[in-house]
Order: sequence, then C-alpha cells, then structure tokens
Amino acid sequence: MRHSAKRVSLSFSRGTLVLEGLARRELPAALEPLGIWDARLPAWRGDAMHYDQVVQIAEQAGLPIEDGVPEWQTIHWPQVQLHTLREEQQQAVRNWTSQGKGYLVMPTGTGKTEVALTIMAQRMLSTLVVAPVRDLMYQWHRRILTGLGYDAGVIGDNVYRVCPISVTTYDSAYLHMDRLGNRFGLVVFDECHHLPGQQRRDAARMSAAPYRLGLTATPERSDNRHVDLTWLIGPLVYDLPLADVTGRSLARYEVVRIPVYLSDAEQARYNQLSDVVRRYMHARRRENPKYCWQDVCADTARTPEARAALKAYRARQAIEDRAREKLRVLEDLFRLHQGEPCLVFTGSNAMAREVSRRFLVPCLLSHCGKKERREVLEGLGTGRYPVLVANQVLDEGVDLPEVKVAVVIGGSSSTRQAKQRLGRILRRSGNLPARLYEIVCADTKDVQRSRRRRSSDAYTGAKTLRKEAPRC
Amino acid sequence: MLTRAEMLVYYDFAGGRVLPDRLTQPTHGHYRHYAARMLEIYHGGAGRTRQELHRAVAAVFAAETDCPQRRIAAFMKLLDDVSTYERDRRGRAVRLRQQVFRLAARHHPLVRHPDRLFESSEATIKARIASRLGRSWHEIDRDLFADVIEFHRLLRFDGYASPAALLSRYNVAQVQASLYDASRMTIWARDDFKTILRYAKLARLMHTITRLEDGRYRIRLDGPTSIMRQTRRYGVNMARFLPALIACRDWQMHALLQPRLGSRLLALELSSGDGLTSHLPPQDAFDSQVEQAFAQRWGDAPREGWTLMREDEILHRGQKTFLPDFVFQHEDGRRVLMEIVGFWTPEYLAAKLQTLREFADSPILLAVAASIAAPPSDLPPNTLFYKTALRWQDVLERLKEQPWSDGSDKSDGSDGSDGSDQPAHSTGR
Repeated sequence: MRHSAKRVSLSFSRGTLVLEGLARRELPAALEPLGIWDARLPAWRGDAMHYDQVVQIAEQAGLPIEDGVPEWQTIHWPQVQLHTLREEQQQAVRNWTSQGKGYLVMPTGTGKTEVALTIMAQRMLSTLVVAPVRDLMYQWHRRILTGLGYDAGVIGDNVYRVCPISVTTYDSAYLHMDRLGNRFGLVVFDECHHLPGQQRRDAARMSAAPYRLGLTATPERSDNRHVDLTWLIGPLVYDLPLADVTGRSLARYEVVRIPVYLSDAEQARYNQLSDVVRRYMHARRRENPKYCWQDVCADTARTPEARAALKAYRARQAIEDRAREKLRVLEDLFRLHQGEPCLVFTGSNAMAREVSRRFLVPCLLSHCGKKERREVLEGLGTGRYPVLVANQVLDEGVDLPEVKVAVVIGGSSSTRQAKQRLGRILRRSGNLPARLYEIVCADTKDVQRSRRRRSSDAYTGAKTLRKEAPRC
Repeated sequence: MLTRAEMLVYYDFAGGRVLPDRLTQPTHGHYRHYAARMLEIYHGGAGRTRQELHRAVAAVFAAETDCPQRRIAAFMKLLDDVSTYERDRRGRAVRLRQQVFRLAARHHPLVRHPDRLFESSEATIKARIASRLGRSWHEIDRDLFADVIEFHRLLRFDGYASPAALLSRYNVAQVQASLYDASRMTIWARDDFKTILRYAKLARLMHTITRLEDGRYRIRLDGPTSIMRQTRRYGVNMARFLPALIACRDWQMHALLQPRLGSRLLALELSSGDGLTSHLPPQDAFDSQVEQAFAQRWGDAPREGWTLMREDEILHRGQKTFLPDFVFQHEDGRRVLMEIVGFWTPEYLAAKLQTLREFADSPILLAVAASIAAPPSDLPPNTLFYKTALRWQDVLERLKEQPWSDGSDKSDGSDGSDGSDQPAHSTGR
C-alpha cells in the first residue's frame, strides 16, 4: 500500500482531531462523513467526539496511525464508600454499561448521582463531570470526595485546577473543552438537557471521551433540540417515569394556589403601565398584524416609544413581583407552618433580598460564596434556620435537606422550572404529603403564568395522584 | 470589553450589513456634554454604591429621546471598567448576615401584628438585634448586603482623559462587541501585516495568507472548527484582536457575522481610514534597537547592488510562518532574507532554528548575537555572529560570498491556480 510507508498521526487540536501524513485522496472513504479536509494545514480534521470511530476506521483500513490523542489515565480510587443501589438504580447502571454511551432519565430525588458515582467507580478512568451551575459543581466535588475518596479538580467559578477527576460547569466546559477534550475518557453531563444549546454542545463535540453519561429528570426542551442528545452523548438507555417512584422514594405533594390582590395604589399604577404597553402594541399591530414582543425588544434601539413600552412592561412586572400583599401572605404561611423548614422561591433577586430583610431569614443568591451556601443549606437541615429564600440558584438538583413546604412567589413560566422546583420538596419523609404554595397576583399576568406552570405534567401527575391516593 | 448585554448593533438585512452603534453623527454632538456629566459623576462618586452611580448615569439621559438602554448600559460598563470598588474581601457582610439571621431564627416568624401565639414583632426583634450588636438597625440594614455587586462602593475612578476619550472608547467597544457574532474575518494589509499577523496568532486565530498582485497581503482569520460549520466560537478572539488591528496602519477589514442562529450572514466592514482610535500605543516600527541601528547604518541607498527593505516578505506553510526582519533585494532580482537574533536563550534559539528548518529552501541569512551560552551545534551554514553591533560590512560580505540562488521561483505570489482558499506557499518543494 502506498501510505504504509508514511508516518500517519492522529492528534488532538483545540477540540478537533487532526490526521496528518495522508494526502487528501489517500483518506479512507469512511472518514468522509466525520470531518473535512483542512487546506489551512493541510490535513484531515474532524470533531473530537468522533475519536473512537476514527480509530476504528483506521484499523479497518489497515492504516497504522500514531495516536497522540488520549491523555486520560486509569484511576485508582482512594476509598470507595457508596450506598447499595436500589433495584432501579442497578438497572440504570447495567443498561448504561452495556453501551458505554447514553443518557438516563430519572426524576429528581431518585439517586442519579449515586448511579453516576457507581459508574465512575467501575470505569476507573479520568472523568470530567459537567454540571449546570457552580453550586452543583461543588456538590459533585463533595459527593466524589465522600463517595470515592477523591479530591477532584475544579474548573469554573474563577478556579482552574485540572485533575484526572474534575468537575466543571457547562459554561466553563464550553470555554475550556478545546484544551481539555483529550484528558478525560469519561464525561458525565449532569442535567444534560442543558447540553444541546447552540454553544454548549461544543462541550460534547470537543471532547474525545469514548465513554459518555448523561443524567436528567427532564430531557425535553421547548426547542426540540433534545433529539441531539443521541449523538452528543448517546441513546436513551434508561427511563424511570415519575409515577414509578412517587410514594416509594418520593413524597406525595399537593399544590395550593393563593391569589393576592394589589393594593389600590399598586393596582392604579399597574393599570397605567398596562395601558402604555397595550396602546403601543395596538398601534404597532395596526401597521403589522404579526408584531410581537420580540419585535418590541428589537425596536428599543430605534424608537423611544418602544423603550417606553419595555420600561412600562418591566415596571409592571416588578409590581407583580414585589406586591406588598405577597409579603403579608408569606407571613401567614410562616405562621401556619411554624416549626417546619420552608423554602421560598422568588421571581427576582431584589424580591429575595426583600423577603430576607423583612423576615431576617437567609437567602441564597449568586453573590453568596461557597462557604456561606453550605452554612445556610446545612443550617436549614439542622433547624438552625427556619426558612431559606432563593431566586434561581436552587432551581436544579442542589441537594437540600428534607423540606415539606415550599412557596413560590412569582417566577418564570417555563415548564422545567416548575418541575425542578417541585422536585425540591419531593423528598422521602414519613407519610405527610409535601405542599407547594403559589402566591399569585389576581387579575394579572401572574395568573396566566401560574396556569401554564400547572399544565406541565409534573402538576398533572400531582392532581391524579391526589385522587388515587387519599391523604393519610 | 462589553458583554453581549451592552452590545448595540443595527442590522441592515436589506443591505446585508452590520452597523455597530457609533456616536459620530452630527446629531450626536450633545453626547460630548453627556460624557462630561458621566465623568463628573464618577470623579465625584467615591463612597457611593454602584447602584447609585448607575442611577445617576441613567438620569443623565432621562430627557434624551434617542438613547437605547443598551447604550446607557455600555457607558456604565466602560466607566466601571476603570473603577475600583470596595469588595468586602474579608466577608464582613457574610458574618453580619450570619449573626443577624441566627439571632432572628428563634423568633421566627417576625410578624407585623403580634398575637398570643406569635409574639415576635418585626420591629421589636430588629431593635433588640440592633442593641445586641451595638449598632442602629438602619446601619445594619444598609450593610447586610454590602457584598452584593450593586451595593459595592466606589473607591477610585481612573477615568478617561476627556469626554471625547470616553466617546472614542465607546465607539471602539461597540465594534468590538459586534464581533462576538463573527464567524470569519478577512484583512487586507500592507506595511503592518507582520504586526497584524502576530496579534492574530496571540488571539489564537488561524490564518490563510495570500499575497495579492498589488503587493498587499490578504489574511483570512478563523478557528479550527470554522471549516466544519458556521461558528461564532472564535468571535471573542476576533474581538480581542481588534484593538491591535486598529492601532495598525493602512488596512481594510471585512467580517462575516451571524446575529442569530440560522439568520443570514451580514458583513461588517472597517478600515484604518474610519477614524477609530485604539487605546493601545502605536506600533513600534522596529522590534529592537539592534535592528533599528542596523537599518540606519545600512542606509536607504543600495550597497553594491543590494537594497535593504524592511519586512517585505512573509514565508508561510500551513500555520507556520516566518517573518524575517529584513529583505535584501539585488538589482539582478536576487532576494535574501535576514533574521536578527539579539538576546537569546538556548530554548529561544532552538525554537527559531526549528522554524528556519521549515523554510530551509529559502535564502535566509541568520545574524546571532554572541552570548555566554554556547551556540547550538546545528546552526545553519549561513549564520553570522556579531558582538555588540551588527556591522553592515559583515553582512555585505556574506551577501557577496554566498551563492544565493535566485529566489524568484519561491516568491510569494498569489497561487493563481484557482483563486480559492488554498494557502499560497511561498516556498516550493
């Protein structure tokens, strides 16, 4: 063969694979769909995620290559201390192991982390764990330390400490994977519905890891991109529906909606602001019937009227969000559930601080450092603090002490957020059902948002469950 | 650099162009006045919180009908960029919160109207905590979230020299931010292409170089994955590179931008004649004094037929480039390149030799400063050592005695074959 005499090398280059030493016409045909000829080098180049396939193709073509890609290593865990897995968790591990690539759908609170740690313990390879936010990143760090005895590296939150076992966030993974992509043989994507974002998917594409594990409670995305998980991570290998576990490993829960009314002054201002928005939209729609809210945002750069409308819209939202009445209702709920730990979710940082200052209870916001977060979370668990207020940071998977009461004040209408927030209070504890209160302004947009929230299947599940299983 | 949240760009989809916001229209004359007021606010703003300063800046534009929110936000960012805020490094606010929340916990919930079951009134408990900590509640309330970024207090403002300087920085910052959406950039340059290329490499961009018939170079810049898909991944690298480009002379730039996923590509065009000013210092004409001194000694006139030209040549193969310090052009058409290595370490010299080996078939004269370190044994034959100063006589001697081949077949003309993206190779095999 002509190419057998040449030195052919495969290397990792900034998130891609580069195959050097072959002329364009000498490339195996099977490489065609995986990459492209890069005249700038010149050499063949493809996404790093195709690494194991490229190696396989080279073998099949009888092409000896110098493989400089993998820099991952075998890991000997200092001390493995994992819980015995429940049957469904064991099944998840088996299904994934038979493929080596793929994602698991398991509801919040069913021990996804334990499953991932078991897989890591068995695989014994350099591993990178990608989490959505830094709280979760640090949580993974703690779980790896207690479960596997390994002090993992941290990439993110202004830290760049790369170790054979490391934890990071999606944003940092996007930024750094072009340098790290060949250092990990296994990548764990926690809450992996975040991965298919237009930019974030680079975290998977630029990694050469032959083993990939995705974890999520809610794979579906409103933009339908979750279908891409199949090639970014691997196929769906395990799906544990919510109904299978509720009542066994999760608590039952019910949703109570409390409408509040704006004060006269708030209502007057609210109507006035609504008028500004309505008049503006009306005028625009006469010119262009399809004019929508996105257009307003685009127009703010051009017309003072659009800016006025946007300003009015935001002011109106702030009134809904921070209505005085909501604080009064919150006081009533605190009275009602005195002695029970309680979580409060707000629609904005400002509102979270307002609740915190009014009731002198801790709030978890993005400014909180790692230590304060831990102190506050532990404090809620041990009963040192009665209440914890948060905006978005607790939205996903943060390990919380058992909480049976949660209150939502305002907040976004996305289906996922509602599910995640419900997941917070779905904790195994005795027979008492958990309770989620929603404080919503009557006669405002807030009500619409609440309706949309309730239409998500998490709530549908809640309603049917309440019918089938009478409260104890 | 601005973030996307402060980026203000106009998309002209009909014309296929992107127009970053720029305050140079005659209608923007009064912005100089606004800029002056913003600088006043920050110069006199020590001790005020970021939120207060931002509100004051927003108030400057209260009556302005032509000012998008993003423009105001961009000014705030540019002002904050040269400000130092008190950051509560020792965690005083964290400790205060912990104290207050712990003290309040056993009185939970603090109610407005106490009754027999719940007797902890909000006002009473707050007063009690205040006396326990020996401060007024007003003070405690003010400091409770002092570590939140909006409540940081201004320590120092190292502002802009003048209102015009702030506006000029604004104009550059918006062009820079618009490049976050860029997927590819092309630059045409003449004298400063060496500097441009060097900064492009520092910004981790890949290049495709073509020498054009008019003597200019065309440099296309993108990143590794750009050939596989439209990606904005390298837009931030291009944005970082821009101030260096603006500091150069005689260039044109064309960038392809994709404002939204799936939207059509728009063009951003810019040139050295557009009046943008960089905050970077202008490029030094010479890298080192040795070179400068040598060029002066050689002079502008030919010596025995050899004329000295500065950085007129670039050798490149793939992503490897070699930009010699000087080119000697003989009347009969011969060209010899010269590279001067002043102060060097063994590692530096080894790397330099590695590059030279890539271009071994080009006529290169290497001038190396004598050093206490022993020179490597694998120096190319056409190496010349010099002590403190490089003498023109020694160089001329070498030029005369070496049987330099005619470099014309290796000249870096355009590839001519199909005018495609194929990089031009200055050295053939």
